[in-house]
Amino acid sequence: MTEGKIDFTNPEYYRNRELSWIAFNYRVLSEGRDKTIPLLERMKFLSITASNLDEFVMVRIASLKDMVHAGYTRPDIAGLTPEQQLTLISREVHQLTEDQYQTYNRSLLPSLKNQGISIITRHEDLTEEEGAIADKYFAESVYPVLTPMAVDSSRPFPLIRNKTLNIAALLQKKSGEKELDFATVQVPSVLPRVFEIKRDGEGVKLILLEEIIERNMDKLFLNYNIVCAHPYRVMRNADLTIDEEEAEDLLETIEKQLKQRQWGEVIKLEAEGEMDKRLLKYLKKEFAIHEEDVYLINGPLDLTFCMKISGLAGYDHLRYEKYIPKPVPAFENDDNIFDNIKKGDILMHHPYESFEPVVNFIRKAAKDPDVLAIKQTLYRVSGNSPIIASLAQAAENGKQVTVLVELKARFDEENNINWAKMLEKAGCHVIYGLLGLKTHCKITLIVRREEEGICRYVHLGTGNYNDSTAKQYTDLGMFTCRKTVGEDATAVFNMLSGYSEPLSWNRLSLAPIWLKKKFLKLIRREQENAKAGNEAYIKAKMNSLSDPVIIAALYEASAAGVKIDLVVRGICCLKTGIPGVSENITVRSIVGNFLEHSRIYWFCNGGHEEVYLASADWMPRNLDRRVEILFPVDDEDLKQRVMDILKLELEDNVKAHVLQPDGTYEKVDKRGKTLINSQEIFCQMAEDAVPEKEDVKKSRTFTPMSSEN
Amino acid sequence: MAITTFAAIDVGSYDLQLAIYQISQKNRIACLDHVRKTVAAGTDTYSEGKISYQMIDEMCGILRDFIGIIHEYQVKDYRAYATSALREAENSQLVLDQIRVRTGIQVRILSNSEQRFLCYKAIAIKENEFQKIIKKGTAIVDVGSGSTQLSLFDKDALVTTQYLQLGAVRIREILGHLDHDDYETRTLIQELVDNDIDTFRKMFLKDREIRNLIATGICALYLNRMKGMGNGAENNVENSADKVTAGEFMDFYSRIELMDYEQIALDMDIPVEHAYLMKPSAMIYKKMIEVTGAELLWIPGVNLCDGIVAEYGEEKRLIRFPHDFTEDILVAARNISKRYMGNKKHNQSLEKLVLNIFDSMKKYHGLGRRERLLLQLSAILHDCGKYISMRDPAESSYHIVMATEIIGISHREREIVAYIVKYNTGRYEYEKIMNEVRNQETSIIIAKLVAIMRVANAMDRSHKQKFDNVKITLKNQKLIITTDSAEDIALEQALFVKKADFFEEVYGIRPVLKRRKGV
Repeated sequence: MTEGKIDFTNPEYYRNRELSWIAFNYRVLSEGRDKTIPLLERMKFLSITASNLDEFVMVRIASLKDMVHAGYTRPDIAGLTPEQQLTLISREVHQLTEDQYQTYNRSLLPSLKNQGISIITRHEDLTEEEGAIADKYFAESVYPVLTPMAVDSSRPFPLIRNKTLNIAALLQKKSGEKELDFATVQVPSVLPRVFEIKRDGEGVKLILLEEIIERNMDKLFLNYNIVCAHPYRVMRNADLTIDEEEAEDLLETIEKQLKQRQWGEVIKLEAEGEMDKRLLKYLKKEFAIHEEDVYLINGPLDLTFCMKISGLAGYDHLRYEKYIPKPVPAFENDDNIFDNIKKGDILMHHPYESFEPVVNFIRKAAKDPDVLAIKQTLYRVSGNSPIIASLAQAAENGKQVTVLVELKARFDEENNINWAKMLEKAGCHVIYGLLGLKTHCKITLIVRREEEGICRYVHLGTGNYNDSTAKQYTDLGMFTCRKTVGEDATAVFNMLSGYSEPLSWNRLSLAPIWLKKKFLKLIRREQENAKAGNEAYIKAKMNSLSDPVIIAALYEASAAGVKIDLVVRGICCLKTGIPGVSENITVRSIVGNFLEHSRIYWFCNGGHEEVYLASADWMPRNLDRRVEILFPVDDEDLKQRVMDILKLELEDNVKAHVLQPDGTYEKVDKRGKTLINSQEIFCQMAEDAVPEKEDVKKSRTFTPMSSEN
Repeated sequence: MAITTFAAIDVGSYDLQLAIYQISQKNRIACLDHVRKTVAAGTDTYSEGKISYQMIDEMCGILRDFIGIIHEYQVKDYRAYATSALREAENSQLVLDQIRVRTGIQVRILSNSEQRFLCYKAIAIKENEFQKIIKKGTAIVDVGSGSTQLSLFDKDALVTTQYLQLGAVRIREILGHLDHDDYETRTLIQELVDNDIDTFRKMFLKDREIRNLIATGICALYLNRMKGMGNGAENNVENSADKVTAGEFMDFYSRIELMDYEQIALDMDIPVEHAYLMKPSAMIYKKMIEVTGAELLWIPGVNLCDGIVAEYGEEKRLIRFPHDFTEDILVAARNISKRYMGNKKHNQSLEKLVLNIFDSMKKYHGLGRRERLLLQLSAILHDCGKYISMRDPAESSYHIVMATEIIGISHREREIVAYIVKYNTGRYEYEKIMNEVRNQETSIIIAKLVAIMRVANAMDRSHKQKFDNVKITLKNQKLIITTDSAEDIALEQALFVKKADFFEEVYGIRPVLKRRKGV
């Protein structure tokens, strides 16, 4: 470097995380546009972009707005102030919305129609017969749950709830007064958004609930003429807690502001594109919203209903065949789960392999007379979780059960409180999270008394203990009874219970105290190796990459010659291809049928590869404000397997998008190459790995069972 | 099952600790779980002289949580010991009672010598090379929160052990008003440390050659961690320890010397509250290296809980030590005797006699190994008072024993030894003793052992070891002591009568002195 030292922290080398997130949502949208994907699956992807965007607005944009209000001007990683960010984001979100509806209107709607699924976009298009069906449904099911509200001098503008779909109308008194009144009615969320009007040999006809209401508006306001009626929707800065991603000094500033506010300000208004100008003006005034936060939508509002359509009965040929997770080979025998773990560490790749062994692990432990204690961290758990039931049972069976329940898991608070109380009633020791930290690590410890003394069985994973998301998210999990890991696991739960840190850790690294340092050490070791002329590389996979310190370390390593290949599904604040800074770094994002969720960190270490799995991404929130665990894969065979998994993902050329130096993502050029769809191959591999069971019926000899069985 | 689970609780001055152990047949102790919670009871004691109600409350809360963990492992047995914070607190009995009532845990306060002895047992069981290390001159430097214990070893055995009121928390408390870690504070701590250790050097170290230091204590644990523990080594209690050279330690010291607590915490990756204690601790180790000229610093990384389990395992005969601790206690006593110019020959003869009688009387006194040791110690120390006064040597011996730390025995045990040497001669005052020791069992033990001491002592009144070879038999309520000595035993026989009266009073058995016929 002739021009002296490079400042790896230069904001120019970083991308704003929000813009990077929007790029991710574009990648999801591109799945919705991909004609090689079954039609109803494409509807699902479109729906995901819509729900993603809603969350983004409520959490991220809301946060930025709060910063602007609080006069907070500290620039982000890319050197942008909150205000600058909002301007850029607004432009991008408008464009994204336009693209969503273009996909819906120009591509998906006609394709659906071709397949016999027609969605009536305007109630005026209904035939008389169909109209009668809709009206009957309105009278019987919809009308009773509607609460129409008119606004006049004695009735103020009502509170419009966050995310709800509403219909606004201008009314004129039948008595003929010139002045127009405003009225609004919420489209009830208790009723399905999509109504099936007709299904016959030719296909199915669907209409959206708001169209049915619009058609019957006059029945709600009997003394009025309906001048016009249009759907609208608001997003509020409803989240009264601050997003954990922000700096602490910000939290203090904003908390004071929050107390002064009764309910969240409206930060986004969506309205039907052809909404009457007078009506729109009225809404804008009532919600005190800026022009750039108004979205005129060319189509139905809130596209999350597409998820419902993607599940439409009778159209299985327009969907992927449902994938059934395959059994884990190591457990395909008659030995009990603990004996199987005793044979050696066991790795599981979900959802290709079943999550059942994890559920079973806790179920068996709950009943096993030799098990003394079960300890587990729970972050997001499915309703009706079999894990919760087993934990409660274990406590009733007199075992010591300690459960750390993370109440701060976003949007899940209420759900979590309910079953946590249930566990407490059953006699479990429930820890309701830690002050100021989110517990994000996924660890289960089972203490069992055996002939040779106490044995500890540990499950560590990259994903939550949620049996339903385990069918959708790709995650890695490992069972082990290694003494070193068992001791560390005990220490983890001791720390979570409020005891001092252990004097030493054997194998695990914990955030927020040790993990970041550990990663930096591992990255710098590669850098040293590269400088010494040895082989040096880092291959890693995570959901998001936004930690400035880690990125700077990666730049430095890259500059020293370390080859860095990353699979980052979502946000990536790192820029590739900067001369002298990141030329040795590649980033790709896999967006496929399953949500990529596993975190793998693989370091060359001079040829003695080290492979780690973690619950943490390389994000400040993971490394600084959460309890996370990084654990090594020590078993040589399993290590090889994890390396093979990551290698295959780096070779994916069907679902992978490669980050370009200009910040855009492009799909891999497939010409002349064998197509590699990593998720499909993993499905196949899992199926091939299942040992074939002898078909008892086919055999012509009997197999007597001895008493040992 | 051949496996015992045991819980050790350390009610320390700085924190409460609980360790769960598994003792297996193969003579192995493995730590299953170890939790610590900082409650600085010592700050109350060292500054106010007693422990506040609030502190008791906090301690009870933590101990209750400990019980949860103890249940979790279905522990068979536990021991809970408290150290200097409680030992020195005026209201210690009240604190113990509160703990008992509110948590059900019986906590016993260790005397300093017992505490150090446990630490020393923990080292012996953990450090495979312990026997080898102590062949050369070795000093154990145990820096606690309230005090420091210096123990010198030479040729396999303990030579001396001394207590310095110089602990990491105490130093911090003394200098409590000096918040800053500036040059002035450093100099003050340095002076405190230098002063005490220099005195130790003059009095006990003299020109002894010390090659090794064994460092234990609050901060040694972190030093141990720094030496690369936690790299996948299985953490057995008996795992071999680490060592650093004196030079390496000095480098480390000069590195942290100018850092403030925050920097130390960051540098060593330890909690700030421990970083706070790091410098005074390190300063004591450093000073010891300087005054002894030791070349190696061993850091076995043991804590009191390790010692508690070692003691328990030994008592229940679940484990065996490679090192003979009883011998250490005896050697320490002989060194005290030597210091006060005791009559070595007479003492050796007396030792033999008392043990001989003790063993013959087993059925009648019903006492155990521990009391046998106390009797032996009494024999060794019974005449040390002569160094002070020939007029009332027994009284002086009593005071010397009460004032001298003997590693490995408790305060109560030391008290027993002191009474034995005191009532070796003169009228036996039942009531006075009972009033003073306030424990019936203890006063009976004293009486039983005094009876044996008196008889044996009378037999070597001439200090000519006429009874070196005796045969002792019990017949018809008579303890017949036969010597083959050719010398005249008239003096002994004359004196014997009075002593025999007391013996008979205690045991209902009459000792009779005889000379073998035909000699």
